[in-house]
Amino acid sequence: MISSIVFINHKGEILIYRVYKDDITRSETTQFCAKIVATKENKECPIINIDGTSFIHITIKDIVVLATTKVNVNVAMTLQFLYQLVKVCRAYFGGEFDENCIKKHFVLIYEILDEVMDYGVPQIADADLLKKYIQEGGLKPELMNDVEKLKQLTSQATGATSWRPPNLVYRKNEVYLDVIESVNVLMSVKGTILKADVAGSIQVKCLLSGMPECKFGMNDKLLMQREPRKPGQTTTDKGITIDDLKFHQCVKLPKFDKERAITFIPPDGQFELMTYRITENINLPFKIMPVYNELGKNKLEIRVKIKSIFEKNLFATNLAIKIPVPKNTANVNTNSAIGKAKHEPDQQGVIWRIKKYPGDFEALLRCEIDLGSTTNQQPWIKPPISMEFQVPMFTASGLRVRFLRIYEKAGYKPTKWIRYITKAGEYLHRL
Amino acid sequence: MAYFGNNQQRGELQELYADLNDLNFEKKKEAIKKVIAYMTVGKDVSQLFQSVIKCLEFQDIEMKKLIYLYIVNYSRQKPDDAIMVIQNFRKDVRKSENPLVRALAIRTFGCLRVPKLNEYLIEPLKDCVQDDDPYVRKTAVLCVPKVFEVSPELCPALLEQLQKLLEKESNALVLANLIQSMREIEVVNGKQLIVLNPKIIQKLLLAIDECMEWGQIFILDYLATYDPVDSKQAEIIIERTLPRLSHINPTVTFCAVKLILKYLDYLNNGDLVKNLCKKISPSLISLLSWNQPEIQYTILRNISLILQKFPILFENEVKVFFCSFNEPYYIKYEKLDIMVRICDSKNFHQVLNELMIYINEADPHFVRKTIKSIGKIAVMYDKALAEAVSILVEFAKNVQQTNEAVQELFIQMQIIYRKNRNLYKTNDSLKILFSIIDYANEPEAKSACAWIIGEFAEFIPKSVEKMGEYVDNFILEDRLVQLQILTSGVKLYIKYPSLCSALIQQLINSAKDSFNPDVRDRTYIYWRLLSTDPEIVKNLICYVAVGSSQFQKDIRLWETKDLITALENMGSISNLFHKLPNQLYKNIKVRNNNQQEVKIYKADEKQEVPSKEQEIKKDDQIQQQQQQPKQDFDLLNFEEPVSNNNNNNNNNNNNNNNNNNNNNNNNNNKIDVYDLI
Repeated sequence: MISSIVFINHKGEILIYRVYKDDITRSETTQFCAKIVATKENKECPIINIDGTSFIHITIKDIVVLATTKVNVNVAMTLQFLYQLVKVCRAYFGGEFDENCIKKHFVLIYEILDEVMDYGVPQIADADLLKKYIQEGGLKPELMNDVEKLKQLTSQATGATSWRPPNLVYRKNEVYLDVIESVNVLMSVKGTILKADVAGSIQVKCLLSGMPECKFGMNDKLLMQREPRKPGQTTTDKGITIDDLKFHQCVKLPKFDKERAITFIPPDGQFELMTYRITENINLPFKIMPVYNELGKNKLEIRVKIKSIFEKNLFATNLAIKIPVPKNTANVNTNSAIGKAKHEPDQQGVIWRIKKYPGDFEALLRCEIDLGSTTNQQPWIKPPISMEFQVPMFTASGLRVRFLRIYEKAGYKPTKWIRYITKAGEYLHRL
Repeated sequence: MAYFGNNQQRGELQELYADLNDLNFEKKKEAIKKVIAYMTVGKDVSQLFQSVIKCLEFQDIEMKKLIYLYIVNYSRQKPDDAIMVIQNFRKDVRKSENPLVRALAIRTFGCLRVPKLNEYLIEPLKDCVQDDDPYVRKTAVLCVPKVFEVSPELCPALLEQLQKLLEKESNALVLANLIQSMREIEVVNGKQLIVLNPKIIQKLLLAIDECMEWGQIFILDYLATYDPVDSKQAEIIIERTLPRLSHINPTVTFCAVKLILKYLDYLNNGDLVKNLCKKISPSLISLLSWNQPEIQYTILRNISLILQKFPILFENEVKVFFCSFNEPYYIKYEKLDIMVRICDSKNFHQVLNELMIYINEADPHFVRKTIKSIGKIAVMYDKALAEAVSILVEFAKNVQQTNEAVQELFIQMQIIYRKNRNLYKTNDSLKILFSIIDYANEPEAKSACAWIIGEFAEFIPKSVEKMGEYVDNFILEDRLVQLQILTSGVKLYIKYPSLCSALIQQLINSAKDSFNPDVRDRTYIYWRLLSTDPEIVKNLICYVAVGSSQFQKDIRLWETKDLITALENMGSISNLFHKLPNQLYKNIKVRNNNQQEVKIYKADEKQEVPSKEQEIKKDDQIQQQQQQPKQDFDLLNFEEPVSNNNNNNNNNNNNNNNNNNNNNNNNNNKIDVYDLI
């Protein structure tokens, strides 16, 4: 499988070097560092073959996390493992992952590397679980001598519900659900929708005692069709079509496959229960209508109208519309009724920011762009207009959580909270 | 930070040596950390071996791990010193009550990789394989291939033990590691070790539900190499695998897709196959829009394989492959490639519309690929010709300087003209191309230009002058260009004998002294022919191929017979490079697939059972007719996927303001507050 894992900084210096199989020499890796990382060639492809050695890598900010191998490994698995490794490190370093904290915690990283992979084969790589027996500065001696506790730990780690420790107790049992949707849209110059989808995620914060069994339901069309209709129930909500769902490891997948029911024993604390993808019947929260005019040789005019298409009593927040301008822009005059628009040369665009934007509302921005003279004969390649926003209490897909039932031996009644938010993913309109 | 300082002084090793032998425990520990830091940056600290292993007497587990790391790194350089730690390991493995310590010892022990130490390892390892604690077992199981690689002669008993364990092991995680470990040994050994029977298969399938994500991958990956005995068994395994399509780890999903796709061949129920395809497709599409570009890339690299065997999966899904502006270029290249493959006589309009946008991108290489793709589509589908050419002509009009894309434009236009000679009549493409002809500077592009001038001399106003320029610079040109200038020059002479007599003299004079034997030979042939019978030359050289059979549409990547092997290796490095494993790795033997025939799955409503792929014929005769060096498309047949016509246009629905928001009651004003359900 994998021969070694290496952390490299942007200059091509090795920060962490852990060998799992001795079919690789250090000089092969330093060659990769000098030739590829230092010349930034690694940005061009995530896998590079040099003389029979494959270098599979990801780049997190300035750090290259590299796996080397000489055999025909599963690349997707290797990449996913590297991502997971970074996730574990972040969990240990309070969310950070940079050169300083790698150098500061290198002893801990070696300990983690020893545990997450053995002989190049990925092993336990769950941060919550690892934290139970790998800690900065070593474990408490009490634990190391308590054989019973250790046995419990190893049986959890290798068991079927490795993500949840037994015997948790909370005085107040609570569950928080966050439904977060990112809308990805690509509109053509003429304003027709080329591509639109919603990438959703349901985040759960779970503060529950014992071993609760949860059952989760949404207005999923396929599930609702299966349910027997109760007498007197209105049939207005037919549910929505979900293209695809991906679940956290705690969800019982065979049960979902058979009954489309989402059941699980949750991990403790925060986790991502599921992600989903929807392409049908998406309610786009905003419409962008740009008009582009060339007024003579050195003058451009771009007018952008945006319209919010959601209920009046809702608000979008933190809007930022980026209107690209040519490199040789000398001056931009902007004019809009709400928000602030400013030319930001480092972004090569005019950024129009609006703090709060009501539903069912239109706004217009007019930009007059003066161009400086340039020697570059190339016509301006117009990048698309992009948009950022958040709309709380709104889901672009129309997804609603219908229930979350929790069964536990103790029979407690937990408090359940939910909120919805829709964000812009890649919200683009070609110019 | 302090550990990584660059101010290495001479006495450093001595200092460390002193600290390691210090009586103060904290000082020792700090010294060990320093040793590891030096090791990381590549400094040789092997001289400290003895001092370091002396520190093993402390029970501090953090320090123990660091020392083990050190030992593993240097054991092969210092095998004699390494013997000294053997007792320590054996004590840990046998005596420690702590499963973590037992596992750590056996894990490290296996990594020493010194043949003479392995004798001491066998007995403790046998114990560990039978340990009560699953955590120790899963570690011990992975230790066996480590030992096997170095000292296979010591292992027969261990291997037997593993086979027994496969029968009786109940812990899913151990089982997954066991499978992976036995596969590693199989690779080294070259012999089959895992013997599957229905009971074990059943057990593995159960284990998939219970073990962690990596374990699921190992098992699915292994089962994908298994050939089910009959349709019934294939169905059972597929059924147990289906739930994995919803796993959050993209590799688990991908391995499940791989297994199911492979097993489809064994099913004899056409409806079931169709249903399965319906389930796989959305799952794959999710992977294609995965938010980690590297993962997306690996999946994209496998799509052409899937597309070749299962065109049905991406029916009407061409939009998935549209490039987004901010994607890394390595993704965009792949998507472009796939868009050409997925393009058919129904969706070409959609594809061309999208490609048109890419022509304006900033990256010259990407634009070049786009031009090439448009050219390919124009040649593949006659219906698409007019539209594709108009895009290319529009591009040509805006060319103001030479760049990569322009070169490709000439190359593609040549191919298009070859196939559709009459194209020059229908638009002004020739005129526009000729106006930018000076921008051609790559050999292939230049030779394309020379061909165009020769072929369409009558329709280009200053063709003879232009050819004169080419002939003037003949000696400086590349071989490819020289050959084409020669042929085109002769063509011009045939067309305008009096006007070109000086030109042909000059051309033959320069060409007969060319350094290149091919050029010389061809020159003499033309020369002799021209001096004996110009009529023959005319028939030979101004021959217009009737029909366009040499432009078959093939964009097939894999040989049909290799499809199954490729499918089994989906996701692996070899597939990523579009090769078979044995082409990339010498030690890998490809299993002989005594498979009936390779099935291709198309969306065709009439046929219940997937149709068989037809024989592929190479048309050798056609190649002879071509005087030109071969272009980069293959001359193979290509069956166009027959698709049913349910173009679900999702867009229309988008403006429907579905008022699903029934739940928006009075809570609306609490914008950032959680709602009670």
